Amino acid sequence: MSWTCEQTEARLSDYLDGLLQPPEQSAFNLHVNTCERCAPLVAGVAHALGGLYALEQVEAPAQLENAILTATLGAPSWRNLRRWLKSLQSPRFVYSMASVAATIVVILTASGFSFTKPKLADLHPATIYHHADRQAHLYYARSAKFVSDLRVVYEIQTRLNENEQNPATREQTVPQDSPGKQPGRTDKTNPSTPKQQNRADEIGRNLRVLAAQFPALSGSIGERRMP
Amino acid sequence: MEQDAQLVQQCLQGDGSAWEELVRRHTRRIFNICYRFTGNRTESEDLSQDVFLRVYRTLGSYRSAHGGFATWMTSVTRNLLIDHYRRTKRDRITDSLDDKMPVVENKESAGRRPDEQALLGELSGQVQSALTRLSPELREAVILRDLQQLEYSEIQQVLAVPEGTVKSRINRGRIELARILQHMGVRPS
Repeated sequence: MSWTCEQTEARLSDYLDGLLQPPEQSAFNLHVNTCERCAPLVAGVAHALGGLYALEQVEAPAQLENAILTATLGAPSWRNLRRWLKSLQSPRFVYSMASVAATIVVILTASGFSFTKPKLADLHPATIYHHADRQAHLYYARSAKFVSDLRVVYEIQTRLNENEQNPATREQTVPQDSPGKQPGRTDKTNPSTPKQQNRADEIGRNLRVLAAQFPALSGSIGERRMP
Repeated sequence: MEQDAQLVQQCLQGDGSAWEELVRRHTRRIFNICYRFTGNRTESEDLSQDVFLRVYRTLGSYRSAHGGFATWMTSVTRNLLIDHYRRTKRDRITDSLDDKMPVVENKESAGRRPDEQALLGELSGQVQSALTRLSPELREAVILRDLQQLEYSEIQQVLAVPEGTVKSRINRGRIELARILQHMGVRPS
């Protein structure tokens, strides 16, 4: 069965795109081969389509991308600035800057720089050195005192432990004049300076007084001391 | 084109480099659609810029679930082209088919003989000229199908018309184009 001109024209694109079924294809061919109007039409459309397919992509003007970016994101310099600011938001950069800032604060604090009353003179190298030296000595002295205090506490704890374990010899362990005329020696194993020994004696006496007055406290101290 | 959707997300989060990448990926395609529709490089350049400006401003309204970014962008382009066509309709000189000489494109294609190149260049210019004489609704359908190689479903999405209408417009556009070329004296050899 052959198609009419209207049918052929309506299905022309399907024919050119290869979308006709075999029977439709036969009907289409049959009509086109015998129709004086449709034959040149099909040839003309096929030619036009060939011309369309032959059209190549044209290159966009070189400045177009930049013009678009300028219209949307701003001028190149501003875009670069924004990109740079964006890079500052990376966690890596933030951590680095935080550590650098912390280091600067520590150094300035150690050098005696006052953040509440900042003075330009405080940033002079000689002043920074002077302050740093002073701070270093101060911290050294404090550390030495702290270590000394720790030793005293250790002495006290040792003495109290011994008293707990051997109540019978409690009086004997109370430091008297250094045996063997060795100042600072509280027993035969732990040497200490006379000054420390005196402080230990004083603290030990105070603790004993406290323990006598507050038995409950004595018990809790004892419990804590037990391993 | 999942990468496009990802770039859009990055853009919405303020990533300028993602937008730059989107511009790089689509400038040529958008410029080509505009150029094939208007047949004028300067106008196409301005229109392409307008397309990207509108896309940039309305990026938040893009939903990847509703289709690809390229299709969405083509839809924006098409709307702008139609707006432009209506806006310039009064200013446009409605030439008769015969009094306007076809513009021959000046482009080089490697691998073709000079005589073939000249013939193809001439035909391309004539086809481009004929294309701009099509009615806008047929022109856009032909451009999207035969030049941008979009599927019927994508064209349906861009033009917001049923698939039957899309097929009909493409068919009518091709037939009309052939007739215009015939009037211009371009006949199949």
